[in-house]
Amino acid sequence: MSPETAPPLIAAQLNYLLSHFPLVVKIENKWSGSKYYPGILDRFTLVISYCLDVIKWDIIFDAESPMAAPDVIFGPDDENFQQFLVLRGEEEGDTKSPKNFLNDWNSRDPTQLMLLIQELRDQYMSFQKKCVAEVDDDRLKFEISTIVAREGIEMHMSSGVDKPEEVKFSVPLLDMNINKMVPGCPWKHKQKIYLQVIYPVEKKYVSTPSAPRLKLVSTTELKSIFSIDDVKLPTWLNGMCMAEYLPHLEESLENQVLEAVSLIDVRRRFIEALALQFGRPLEADPVFCRKATFLAASGVFTFLVHVLISTQFPKQQPELMLQSSQHFNSQGAPIKSLFLTEYPWSPRWEIPLMAERICDYLTDEALNFKRYCNEPQLQH
Amino acid sequence: MEDPSIDKVAISGPALASMIQRFSTSQGSVDGLIFGHVSHIAPTLTDDSPNSTSSATLIATITGFFCSGSTHSFYNSSGRVDPVLLRRLVQAQAQSPSAHLLGWFSGRRKTHLRPSLREFSVSNALSSNPNLTFPIQNPSEGPSNPNLVPSLFLLFASPITDQTIHTHEYRAYHFRASKHSFEPKSIQIVNIGPAFRAQYENFSPNSPFPNLPFELRVSPMIVDRGEESLDQLRQVNKDQSELDMCSEGLEVGSLSRLMGSEAANYTTGVEDLYEKMLVKIESLTTLVEKSSAKVLEQVSLY
Repeated sequence: MSPETAPPLIAAQLNYLLSHFPLVVKIENKWSGSKYYPGILDRFTLVISYCLDVIKWDIIFDAESPMAAPDVIFGPDDENFQQFLVLRGEEEGDTKSPKNFLNDWNSRDPTQLMLLIQELRDQYMSFQKKCVAEVDDDRLKFEISTIVAREGIEMHMSSGVDKPEEVKFSVPLLDMNINKMVPGCPWKHKQKIYLQVIYPVEKKYVSTPSAPRLKLVSTTELKSIFSIDDVKLPTWLNGMCMAEYLPHLEESLENQVLEAVSLIDVRRRFIEALALQFGRPLEADPVFCRKATFLAASGVFTFLVHVLISTQFPKQQPELMLQSSQHFNSQGAPIKSLFLTEYPWSPRWEIPLMAERICDYLTDEALNFKRYCNEPQLQH
Repeated sequence: MEDPSIDKVAISGPALASMIQRFSTSQGSVDGLIFGHVSHIAPTLTDDSPNSTSSATLIATITGFFCSGSTHSFYNSSGRVDPVLLRRLVQAQAQSPSAHLLGWFSGRRKTHLRPSLREFSVSNALSSNPNLTFPIQNPSEGPSNPNLVPSLFLLFASPITDQTIHTHEYRAYHFRASKHSFEPKSIQIVNIGPAFRAQYENFSPNSPFPNLPFELRVSPMIVDRGEESLDQLRQVNKDQSELDMCSEGLEVGSLSRLMGSEAANYTTGVEDLYEKMLVKIESLTTLVEKSSAKVLEQVSLY
């Protein structure tokens, strides 16, 4: 038995939450509040994604009574959230209120914690919406009125003693399911691209409101087919509003995503063309086609060729790396070459030609690499 | 609804220590009720600062508490207060008429020192219960003397990571029913001693004597020594009858009446007793004087 475990009923709740929550949720910290059983974990800090940031809530179970409903301690900045929750719970008698989950807590049902967190997060979203709506800034009021209908928009009011007041929006872009566009997609969460818009709250006397800070953010796994850093945002003109800005951005982004998806196939054909030169790859990334490893030989010298293909592929040439299968360094690890990026390349070549030119280049490069492997200082 | 702001919370050192002790010796989290009174304190006349408000400040004095030893003692897991359970607890703790239900407290190990969702709900429910209102102890002369609600909340916690400096943390909050929010309040610890004289004169602790554990079963060792204990009993009885002769019908138990409201009537009784004792001693001294005079006479005759 491992020394630190959660009681089975609590562990079941947590496992279900971690595996079934539709958004990203993590347990950042877990510890025990028990006096006599310090190994029994019953307090957890959950990190829940919200508005392109995270919220941290402490979930307090009781190891002494694992059947009892947990309690929640919200973040130090969210003191008014409890007030919002309790007042709202009094107004509406609706069955989905977090209060009802806690009232009718059934510890035998492992879905309870997830449902509670989901409901609390939904309520948190309404709470932040209410906070933002109370901000006295005409431009913000206008922006909210025009974009509030967008599905999945989240907002967050940030203010503090030494921070300027800001309102942050996370606007989901592109109404398309990227997961479905990638054949054999392994992603658990739905991949999305968001525009983060941060408005400074303006004082009344400012005549020309400053432009908001804009940033594109994507879910992390999307990076394997599409890098958000390569997107150039259209400029925000003076006096512009989000409703004007978003359609242009979405249009150009849509084209880029479609292209990125079509490039998967180009990379696949490239790997297939390499296979004609080098033989069947030892290993290849079958979904995104970003990597392939081939076995090659120059005389008796055998080595591996790792081909790393960027999302910008034919424009950007693949990076090659050679790894000897006969030479090892003093730590016993196989000797590898540096990344090779300087070799003849043209994006306009046909794919079979690209593969052919790489093969030609490697025929020469293999000799250099062999010499490099045989250099005496490396063998010690 | 008018909702006067409590400016300070005062508690005697032993009462606070005893609350922390109950929390630290309990198995898990604890909760309980706190009792006391709220009174006006007139502003000091020496305060020259122009910002000082002319109105008196309200101070909540915690004089007693009840610790349930567990959680959910008068509310459920969503923080809904059960009025029947609460009434039973308050009545069981019936104290002097000046002690009202001021609020409640919660102690939980290794958590952040911030009120949780459930604690917020409980405080909200307590402070909105119209049956629990109580008056200010010494109402000011002004026209407005609103009734108060049990709105105090004391939170005890221990640090999440073990600290070498301290083992427990506490914080007092006043739940403002009008704003539906907690306001942190400073706790003034009132101790006995010359330095605290000014405070102590404003302070009347009246916590009940705590229940002492009482062993009902007779230990087998004592049964074996029955004869010896019988001797002891006889001795005790003898001593007691001698004492009773001196006290002339006054019982030690009734001495407790010297405190509290009955004291005025009762002191005369005790004074009578002292007077009788003095008369006895006086007659004894004259007796001794006379006898020694006689002895002296006999000595001089020889």
